[in-house]
Amino acid sequence: MSDDRFPHEPSVAIDLSRRKEPSAGRGVRASLVEVRHVAAPYVTMTRIALAQLLRSRLARAGALMLACLALVAIFADVLASDLPVACRWRGAVYLLPNVTHPAALSGVDCAAMRRDRGPGDWLLAPLVTRGPTEAGDDVEVLLPPLSSGHPLGTDSLGRDLFARVVHGTRTALGLGLLASLALVAIGVAVGALAGFVGGPIDALVARAVESLSAIPTLVLVLVVGALVPHPTTATLLWTIALTRWTELARLVRAEVLSALGTDYVTAARALGASPGRVLLRHALPNAIGPALVAAAFGVASVVLIEAAVDFLRVGSPDTMASWGEAMGEARSHAEAWWLVAFPGAALLTTLVALNLVGEAARDALDPKLRGVGAEMGTGG
Amino acid sequence: MLRYALRRVLWAIPTLLATSLVLFFVTTLAPDPGSPGTDDPLVEEAHRARFLDLPRFVNANPQDVRSRTLEALGHLASGDGRHEAAARELARLGGAALPYALPQVESLPPDARGRVAVALAPVAERMGLAQADELRRPGAAALFWSRFWDDRALDFTSTAVDRAVGRLVEHGSDLRENDLLSLDTFALPEIIVAMAGTTDGVALERLTRIASHVTERGPVLAADATREQARRAVADWQEWWFVHETDFVALDGAARAVAVVTETRYGKWMKRAASGELGVSAIDGEPIAEKLRARAPITLLVCALAMLLSWALAVPIGALGAWRQGRAFDLASGAVLFVLYATPTFAVAEVLRRLTVGQAVSGGRVTLAVAALAVGSVATLSRWQRAAMLDVVRQDFVRTAHAKGLSAWRVAVVHALRNALMPTVTLAGLHLPVLLGGAFVVEEVFGLPGVGFETLRAIEAHDAAWLMAVVLASAVAVTLGLVASDVAYGALDPRVREELARRQGGRTA
Repeated sequence: MSDDRFPHEPSVAIDLSRRKEPSAGRGVRASLVEVRHVAAPYVTMTRIALAQLLRSRLARAGALMLACLALVAIFADVLASDLPVACRWRGAVYLLPNVTHPAALSGVDCAAMRRDRGPGDWLLAPLVTRGPTEAGDDVEVLLPPLSSGHPLGTDSLGRDLFARVVHGTRTALGLGLLASLALVAIGVAVGALAGFVGGPIDALVARAVESLSAIPTLVLVLVVGALVPHPTTATLLWTIALTRWTELARLVRAEVLSALGTDYVTAARALGASPGRVLLRHALPNAIGPALVAAAFGVASVVLIEAAVDFLRVGSPDTMASWGEAMGEARSHAEAWWLVAFPGAALLTTLVALNLVGEAARDALDPKLRGVGAEMGTGG
Repeated sequence: MLRYALRRVLWAIPTLLATSLVLFFVTTLAPDPGSPGTDDPLVEEAHRARFLDLPRFVNANPQDVRSRTLEALGHLASGDGRHEAAARELARLGGAALPYALPQVESLPPDARGRVAVALAPVAERMGLAQADELRRPGAAALFWSRFWDDRALDFTSTAVDRAVGRLVEHGSDLRENDLLSLDTFALPEIIVAMAGTTDGVALERLTRIASHVTERGPVLAADATREQARRAVADWQEWWFVHETDFVALDGAARAVAVVTETRYGKWMKRAASGELGVSAIDGEPIAEKLRARAPITLLVCALAMLLSWALAVPIGALGAWRQGRAFDLASGAVLFVLYATPTFAVAEVLRRLTVGQAVSGGRVTLAVAALAVGSVATLSRWQRAAMLDVVRQDFVRTAHAKGLSAWRVAVVHALRNALMPTVTLAGLHLPVLLGGAFVVEEVFGLPGVGFETLRAIEAHDAAWLMAVVLASAVAVTLGLVASDVAYGALDPRVREELARRQGGRTA
């Protein structure tokens, strides 16, 4: 990664040099207008990048896929739950009991409600009336897709696969987003610190980055999960966030360093800006691009690792619905192709969408690669 | 060139140190099996085996046999609430404690002297010098120990023990064995050293018998034991000694100064990791290092083959894609590779396994594992290769080559590809952790008995020693791989060497 990313930044310098001239007044104002006019296309990097991003058809496709997945994750309870979306039961009306799980409805599910419905009771059932963790009876084990009540079939415990895939979306995206946010926060903070303070702290961070990136994440996550007394999903989240910030920290550090070498930072310092202001207002905004790209790829890698860990550790006491877990279950049931196909398709869609958005964002934000894109555009 | 390589290797040392700190932190995540002072000796043993009785990084006051003895004497002399535990401790320390305990005894008041002497009675019994019954009376016991020290003080020197052990190993006899038994634990350091140095079955039997007698633990070898059994028993004793050495050895002078750092949790952990002795597996008692050596070739083979295969495929695909940028091949391969790039290795492996169930595949599971692992790498590497090639293709020297009238083939391969290969070499180093993680997955899916397969068994059994060894080994392997790829890059491109010399920081910026 080259450090001189922004070759067109003389605008501020020109501005200042003109201001020093004794014959100020109108001349300065005119030159400022001129400079702004010349510099305009270069100054708002973010706006250019955003426009570029929106122009990319692949990025829009990826974003659309992600939006759909996000909707599935948000409305997972409406798509598949053992309780209705709304109902009147024993004279009381419940709204969204599938989200709130009221105590009065514990022990009943949609099937039971339909069966012993009293006069005046009604219910609005979700698409599939089974929760993701609800095991079925013996007849319901390993049903193929399109069985009655189970559009995608069931797994070896008789749990509805549709419900598990839908709720698995929530697990994957929620975990990915949280871990990615933590990762970006750590990466930006550490990278900014290393670049801005420099010296021994920089050397320390450099060693930390090198050593952490030498540890295979998947292996570390597996091992930490086995060593911690009571592993939860939070363990996985923190393990990934605390070890995967390294790539971003390196990029942010490079951005901060290159910004500190620019004339506009020198100018800001000369005008008496505090170090904090220089860092936050002048240096760090350059790192927004890498941070966004790292966030997109971070979500992808968390989703991937979570799936792989659940795939390998199938049978571990974890009640969360997860794509990887469903696929891992298929390992001992050769005939159950649906256990691989549907969760696998969901996983692949998510990863492809995240990669599409991430790559489009990177191409849009990296001027070096932008040239490539423009050339391709003109060449048809 | 050599200077550059050396420099790069040296720069890996602080990285490895930092890695060790990270991994040391991971070890602290494992739950404490119990604190000392509980009555269960097994729990206390497990506590010590993980060095949880030691401070983390600095041990200002390292414990040794002398400090332990004096502490026990203090409790016994004052007769406070802990004098029973102190008596047990003194009996455990045994002969090694005598040079520090007996000279002190003379200066104690008579009743305290009696208590100490009685507490040492089990030691006398172990030495085969007296029955514990005879020493139950404080007066008799005190007299016995005072006479004992008058007679035998000269035998309690390490040179004497060294000679005695040497004679026992060379031509053992029951008499010599009894000689050593009468020194009790004082002879342990030399005995443990001698165990590692001999392969003679009879000598090993005698040595392990003495060690087992004085410590009341551990395996005794039969004289006709197999090599394998002998190796295991010696490993078990060495492991125990690594944990308990300071119970029987006094730290003096320089040793004491070094112990400030080494007698800590981190110090012990590092010492073990650096010496390649990684402890003993909780599953089958097998030394971890041996197990790792047995399993690693499979994992490394799968990784190496997958790497070679993906290079062989990725370089032409990526280069051709860039050369024909925007044409049908570029777009098609780009789309396919993009999807493959996003596909998790475990999904590829699982699908591949399902497709080939019941079919004979030449080379069997290894072929399948390599193929599954290579899919992701091909996608990653060829995309890098394409980007690198695109950079080169636009440069002036390629245009010049075209202008000179060289054939397109020659320009593409000799001028462009040669230069475009270099970035991929370094990036291949970055790809190593991913490859290693993927190898764990494919081994598990295809049932190859490599490191990854074994690790998943260890996860089920919560075998902390193996798990830590695996993370450590993979981190070291990846670091070495990075160094190798950097050195290779430097060998190919002199500019890189200058860059490193200027920057001093390895791959930091």
